[in-house]
Amino acid sequence: MIKVSDISVRLAGRQVIHGVSFDAAPSTMTAIVGPNGSGKTTTLKAVSGELSPVSGKVTINGHDLAALRPWQLALKRGVLPQSTIISFPFTVREIVRLGLSASGTVSHSANDRIADDTLEAVDLAGFAGRFYQELSGGEQQRVQLARVLCQISAPVSDGEPRYLLLDEPVSSLDIRHQLTIMRLARQFCERGGGVIAIMHDLNLTAMFADQMVMMRAGRVRASGPPREVLTDETMEAVFGCRMQVNVAPTRDIPFVLPQSVAI
Amino acid sequence: MPRSEAMEGSMRAPAFAADIVREWRAGNRSGLARLLVVVLAVVAAATFVTSIMTGAADASLSNVVHWLAGMEGADQAPSVRDRIIILDIRLPRAVLGLLVGAALAVSGVVMQGLFRNPLADPGLVGVSSGASLGAVLLIVLGSSVFGPLFALVGFYALPVAAFFGGLATTLLLYRIATRGGQTSVATMLLAGIALGALTGAVTGVLVFIADDKQLRDLTFWGLGSLAGANWTKILAAAPIILMSLAVVPFLARGLNAITLGEAAAFHMGIPVQRLKNIAILSVAAATGASVAVSGGIGFVGIVVPHLLRLVIGPDHRYLLPASALLGGTMLIFADMLARTIVSPAELPIGIITAFVGAPFFLWILLRGRSNMGL
Repeated sequence: MIKVSDISVRLAGRQVIHGVSFDAAPSTMTAIVGPNGSGKTTTLKAVSGELSPVSGKVTINGHDLAALRPWQLALKRGVLPQSTIISFPFTVREIVRLGLSASGTVSHSANDRIADDTLEAVDLAGFAGRFYQELSGGEQQRVQLARVLCQISAPVSDGEPRYLLLDEPVSSLDIRHQLTIMRLARQFCERGGGVIAIMHDLNLTAMFADQMVMMRAGRVRASGPPREVLTDETMEAVFGCRMQVNVAPTRDIPFVLPQSVAI
Repeated sequence: MPRSEAMEGSMRAPAFAADIVREWRAGNRSGLARLLVVVLAVVAAATFVTSIMTGAADASLSNVVHWLAGMEGADQAPSVRDRIIILDIRLPRAVLGLLVGAALAVSGVVMQGLFRNPLADPGLVGVSSGASLGAVLLIVLGSSVFGPLFALVGFYALPVAAFFGGLATTLLLYRIATRGGQTSVATMLLAGIALGALTGAVTGVLVFIADDKQLRDLTFWGLGSLAGANWTKILAAAPIILMSLAVVPFLARGLNAITLGEAAAFHMGIPVQRLKNIAILSVAAATGASVAVSGGIGFVGIVVPHLLRLVIGPDHRYLLPASALLGGTMLIFADMLARTIVSPAELPIGIITAFVGAPFFLWILLRGRSNMGL
């Protein structure tokens, strides 16, 4: 369990996160949603240990984040950043291997197999010999996800659940690969791990997430299962859009179309 | 992507070569990298021996070696002249070339890794100028201001002073060019120019106020070549350079991770702040010691790592040792050129490295513009 308890974060002298709390349980996918500049990424940075909150605390499987060393954290959670620019000519396999070197694992041959399997899982089989810099933005993002999945290849290790923290994992992907990556995250949850993802696509979120945390102006405005959180009222309160949330008749999942906005 | 005919041809070579090629195609260049490190070690040794054998004067190496080994088989006992040429002139020069070349190339690699950019080089961004300033400060103000330091560290004083000069410049540059874990290349290069100009100006003032004896010392020191190599200089620089070279292999994994950004390196379990501190200290130490004994020799730190990255990729576990070897080899070779092409006179070695390095730098710049945030 990742427990975020009443954290506040200051950036460059300005308080941007005000008393945010939520829990991310293993086997569940938690989606953080909210308008641009609402503090989603900053919150995720506090959860990853990259930023220290000025008050409140974050625990991961009961351990206070502030007391863990970087290598200990690296064994408990992997982090996918929004985008990664690299100015050296790494091949895809070399990038993915960087993740393996952080996982503290095993033999050379096992490593190669994990790397190949992971690349296949993100639909990049056969890309291992390509240069990262020559790939498209969406392909690069999937390489980075493969790297993170190599670092945290088992969702549960020594009986402890592990976590993926994903900052907009599908933002630059085509629709097919959006589904591929969301299913991959879902599988990670089903195998006992936990996922926290920052999402912009509310419909994908409603389809795949177990829990939504809606943020606005550095505060949590609503949280719970998508069916309870995604309502006409929260759409207006959080995003400032008068929109109608509907429910897909066949699958009982809420959806919202921009066409429903009152122009 | 280069997939050359030569590589196709070597498929018929022995099994391990075929393995290396297959792995290389699959994006794994570590086999090739290991092979290259071995080859470079052999080449470095060969260049080292060749440079001791070549020079303006004739001197028989084998006679001196036999004499050293106490062997009877020598055709004739080496003359005192031969002994001096080999043991006191060429050998220290080759040793110093190897050390300084390795130090400059490795400083380049570490700095490029730290700044996440292939154009970072101690010579280009003012670190060498800072180190020079440290050394000049010591020579000019030495006896009056740093008297106790002189007495305390003896002939290490110059490398130590250059180290602090280099360290101050590196720290300043890092603070200016890096914001929130991201480095701006444009800021880095421009700040480097400014820092270089500033340290150069202060150095100029010091030269202006120097007395005649100090001026002689400065001129002698500032020639920027290996011409003044002797065992005392080696004794002063070698411990510092070797210490830096011994430390940097431990940075390899961290430098690999930091190419993805400081945040990503932290996410992968790297203690980023400690990595940066150690990297900056080793760059300053290696550059400072090099500048102290051989003046400013430019571009080795740019050319060597870049050539190697083209072949074996940016994995620092192999890039660091390969750069040390190739850097040493190239500097010994450049020095051989410097003292033979206009023999018996000598070109300053910095001219040769600049002639090769400066066009090379422009080539990298034009080729990689899009990837480097310029």
